[in-house]
Amino acid sequence: MAHGIRVLEDSCRGCVNCIKSCPTEAMRVIHGRAHIIEELCIACGECLRNCRHRALQLAEDPWEGIFNNKDTVALMVDPSLCTQFLWPPNTDFLIGPLRDIGLEPISGVNSEAFDLAALAVSRAIESADSKDMPLISTYCPAVVRLVQIRFPELLKHLVPVESPLEFGIDLWRIRTQQKESVVLAASCPARIAMVHDPVGREVSSAEWAVSVARLAKEIRSRGYAKAEIKAPAEGERWVQWGMLGGETLHVASFMNRDLNAIAVSGIRNVFDLLQEVELGLHAEVEFVEARICDTGCIGGIGNAESRFLSQRKIRSQKVRWDKTASEIEVLEKLYRARIWELQRTIEPINRLPLGEEISQAMEKLKEMNAVYAELPHIDCGACGRPSCRAMAEDIIRGRGEVEDCIFKLRKRISGLAEELLLLSRRLVHTVVEDKH
Amino acid sequence: MGEPIMLEFEVKPLDFLAAGEAAERVKETLKTLGLPSSICRRAAVVAYEVEMNLVIHGGGGHMVLKVEEGQITIIAVDKGPGIPDLSLAMQEGYSTAPDYIREMGFGAGMGLSNIKRNSDELEIETEVGKGTKLVSIIYIK
Repeated sequence: MAHGIRVLEDSCRGCVNCIKSCPTEAMRVIHGRAHIIEELCIACGECLRNCRHRALQLAEDPWEGIFNNKDTVALMVDPSLCTQFLWPPNTDFLIGPLRDIGLEPISGVNSEAFDLAALAVSRAIESADSKDMPLISTYCPAVVRLVQIRFPELLKHLVPVESPLEFGIDLWRIRTQQKESVVLAASCPARIAMVHDPVGREVSSAEWAVSVARLAKEIRSRGYAKAEIKAPAEGERWVQWGMLGGETLHVASFMNRDLNAIAVSGIRNVFDLLQEVELGLHAEVEFVEARICDTGCIGGIGNAESRFLSQRKIRSQKVRWDKTASEIEVLEKLYRARIWELQRTIEPINRLPLGEEISQAMEKLKEMNAVYAELPHIDCGACGRPSCRAMAEDIIRGRGEVEDCIFKLRKRISGLAEELLLLSRRLVHTVVEDKH
Repeated sequence: MGEPIMLEFEVKPLDFLAAGEAAERVKETLKTLGLPSSICRRAAVVAYEVEMNLVIHGGGGHMVLKVEEGQITIIAVDKGPGIPDLSLAMQEGYSTAPDYIREMGFGAGMGLSNIKRNSDELEIETEVGKGTKLVSIIYIK
């Protein structure tokens, strides 16, 4: 169970759609079954989107297991859960349906937690050293993992503010003194990984993770789909985080000046932007809101509703960005309590070098280049690796044979066949010679 | 330690779509060797700026990455117009890039100064009308 994704071995047909779609080349097909190389996986969910046999699934917790003889369990609501239904995206409308399926939303703390996160980010921007600019949002756990794996030099740019979905649960526990376990509504595999394999703290404040799609299905199956509710006059600020740009707007609302920010979504855009940040092309930018999923969290593979419909629902909400004096007072108190802080520094995830010593690694790299030079360079995937380069690396690391390449195998067979032919002729010759 | 590792890249003139690919390959190669990430980043910055110079000014050319005991060398050779005033070209913000390239967000005049900042040794041989050869060395400590 790697990073929120589960391979159903019986359903896997060994096709190469997943390995070709993985942006970090973390997948292999071995003996006809998909495998995930954990230290390369960022839990973006691209493989799930591309699996035609439904052999890759979200590693969410089993519905029955969560309840485990309990009548109700507490639920942390994700902004994208609010957009899954016909009614306007507002937490109030979710409370009844959620209680009906046995979940008690702790959404009362969401507005404060998200306000606090935005405030903390704005303070971090105001006090940051210019050489650490731009600061990068930690809200998308897949982006955080991508930085850990591919852009370790950018780790110091990650803003040291935890996801409000995480510390919001802490806040609820402090307020209510409840020790009950909490389920997190997850819009993607990376959110599931946030619960089961957290970064930035030792143990997640949530105990379970269930997909937004699963929750939506439970609610819809109880006949709530057709409920007609009029839109409230005012939308909730925190629900805006479900859509790309929402966090930036929220952070900017806490600043007394213009915020110079970039908001990008989609794996390709995030990759390119981080690469450019690493090269120092965006040093004058203050804040980067990057989301692995196109359109933001509402585009996560764990949702049921169309991301475009979700986007329209969030956009239709009028949001009041200025805060009242009493709201500010509460926030300042919470800010000073520092519950928003990352509990642990985010460490790089280093890829195993080819050798222990640099000289040894260089020898291996030379071998690897030599192996690569002999491969067909068409990246067909038939060997179970995403590219000829990945294949060469696997061979050097002792995880494969040259003959795993169908073209090399064919060449070898034709070579053997020619040799056999020659041998067979020579045999007749000897037989004739023996007769003398 | 045996022979150095050599990787050669051909950089095509004005190919902005492919620009940055060689720099990414340089970074990935150095990472698989297990070099510290700060060194990988410096080499990637040098490779990227060198690549962009070849794309924008040099009329394309060749870039070579050489890794040997103790140091990384990045060599760029082009048969472009050459640099008439090298000390002026090394100044931050000085650029001869035409407007259409600046409009794409390139040619800000930071290239050579960025290369200098990230290199431990830098040597540039240039002749007007003939071309330019740049050699950047980064020590592996």
